[in-house]
Amino acid sequence: MDGRHIVCFGNELHGDDGFGIRVYQQLRRLAWPRDVKLFNAGIAGLNALEFLTDCRQAILVDALADTGNAGAVCVFKPDDTVGRWETPIGHGLGIPYLLKALEIVCESPPDIIIVGAEVEKRAIKPFSPGLSGKSERAVEKAVRTIQRLVSV
Amino acid sequence: MARRIIQIDLNRVEGDLEFQLELEGREVVDARCIGSLYRGFEQILIGRKPKDALVITPRICGICGTAHLYSAVLALEQIGRIAVPPNASRIRNLCLMAETVQSDLRQSFLFFTADFCHPKYAGRPLYEKTLGAFLPFKGWAHRGTLEHSRHVPGIVAIFGGQWPHSSYMVPGGVTAPPTSRRILDSLSIINNLTRWFEQAVIGTDLGPWLELESADQLFAWLEAADTHANSAIGLMTRMSRDIGLHRSGFGTSHMLSCGAYCDSAGGQMFKSGFLDGDTGKIEPFDQAEIAEHVRYSWFEPYEGGRHPFRGETIPDFQPHSNRYSWSKAPRYRNEVVQTGPLAELLIDGDPLIGSLYRAEGGNTWLRQFARLRRTALLLQKMREILHELAAHLDDPHFTSPAADEIPDGEGFGLITAARGALGHWVQVTDGAISRYQVITPTAWNASPKDSEGRHGHWESSLIGLTVDDPDDPVEIGHIIRSHDPCLVCTVHLLDTGKRMTVWP
Repeated sequence: MDGRHIVCFGNELHGDDGFGIRVYQQLRRLAWPRDVKLFNAGIAGLNALEFLTDCRQAILVDALADTGNAGAVCVFKPDDTVGRWETPIGHGLGIPYLLKALEIVCESPPDIIIVGAEVEKRAIKPFSPGLSGKSERAVEKAVRTIQRLVSV
Repeated sequence: MARRIIQIDLNRVEGDLEFQLELEGREVVDARCIGSLYRGFEQILIGRKPKDALVITPRICGICGTAHLYSAVLALEQIGRIAVPPNASRIRNLCLMAETVQSDLRQSFLFFTADFCHPKYAGRPLYEKTLGAFLPFKGWAHRGTLEHSRHVPGIVAIFGGQWPHSSYMVPGGVTAPPTSRRILDSLSIINNLTRWFEQAVIGTDLGPWLELESADQLFAWLEAADTHANSAIGLMTRMSRDIGLHRSGFGTSHMLSCGAYCDSAGGQMFKSGFLDGDTGKIEPFDQAEIAEHVRYSWFEPYEGGRHPFRGETIPDFQPHSNRYSWSKAPRYRNEVVQTGPLAELLIDGDPLIGSLYRAEGGNTWLRQFARLRRTALLLQKMREILHELAAHLDDPHFTSPAADEIPDGEGFGLITAARGALGHWVQVTDGAISRYQVITPTAWNASPKDSEGRHGHWESSLIGLTVDDPDDPVEIGHIIRSHDPCLVCTVHLLDTGKRMTVWP
């Protein structure tokens, strides 16, 4: 229960839906404290529960609905997620469903922090690998944000 | 009478499905089941080494990758005439059962029963109990399923190293032996799950419940104790029948099962067969009778149907034609068929399912009930397999094939996945895959029309249905979800531009 998990979600085949996976690719090049583990959760849906148990903190990385600030990197807690995932960025059952399920299956759920970038709906293109310019520029910012969160 | 079209999206882990329904008043008069996502796995495999199929095909699906691996390895073993030791079959069967049990429990209590909590049913006598059991994240059955279903694929990880998308089945057997530790760990998972299943899902011990053999016995059992009536399966049954789900969603009466779980005698633990809905007779299954049609599919056209060994999968997207799906239309003996747990248990001869089928036909409720009946059977069989493994601990789990490579030739692998009949057909030429054809359970059930214009099973299960409220057609959700389409189900009203969701 002492570890910290960084869990990245997304589908790298579908344009900006792959934001979380692009961040994962950058994160895995870096050195991390021994208690930090990185996970590529892809579109695991409920199966990603296993990445969120047995840790004291979990940082989730994903693409977020566009509120007019495409490319902006946001950090927030699950209680602040209303409306954030109401785009077609579902990853199967969706992260809100996953977090609700976590409360049920885990007696002591980890502290959850969400790091994401707002992406434009039109940039979620089926079978178009690669991020838009705005999302690509947000990757490094997200990586630095996660480094700061882990170093605290 | 005014006509309107509604469109239902069925988003799945392994692809996208939509329904487009035409309503005349409140009656469904036409249905089109649309496979909206082109996958391309069959093309990806062409030109590759045969054993690559063991790594690539488990990625077809995030829920039933073990089933694809099992089909793929059987096809390669048929080409190479490679036998496997009994312990390999035991481990393969155990892992496929684990995957199926998780899928069936989640489909039942995370997706199907949630529809009973629709406000439309607020006046029904069982509504409060239904909310208490099935309301998402609050009901005891929903919460219990979230907790208890997540551990069972751990058995695949114990023997296969990972789940999903594992590749531990290889021509000649499996990669890891059945050690005492693996058996004990697996047994612990099954025992915990079985305890919860007995306490919450059936409200009694597994043994006596599996001894129920007729419709009369089942309904007497339901009334015999509050723990039976108020168990998850008791509430599911009573609520389903209260709202008439035993009178809807029939579709085609022809049923198909490829059989399931290879036994050490070269047969299968669950029999294969074709239930002819016209005669009521179960006849031997012959894969040579399968043909796939593409008349209404977005593939390069050919006449009639083709057996998978002559089949081709060349995409030809024609959005403005009367073709409407990326799914082909498989037919057996030129008949539209359905597949899944109902077909599997009927064809295998389960007495209770047979009795209920003879009494009321293959309806929405029975399709769901059969899925949970199968869970009970599999929990029992998984424990038996582990005891067999313990008794043969030192027996081989792998027999090295005579040749390193799979020779040229053709073979097929047929099994039953969680959603029904699954087949892989492979041809190897000059050491590489020259043709690979997959027919999934959902291709059988969700097929578009065929060359003769006959609707697929899901389509026909909805045609003729009358909905109470075309703006909120929860009846459609019941029928579609009884076929295990998996995930969210959103309805768009194309004629008004209004968007809505079939509850929840």
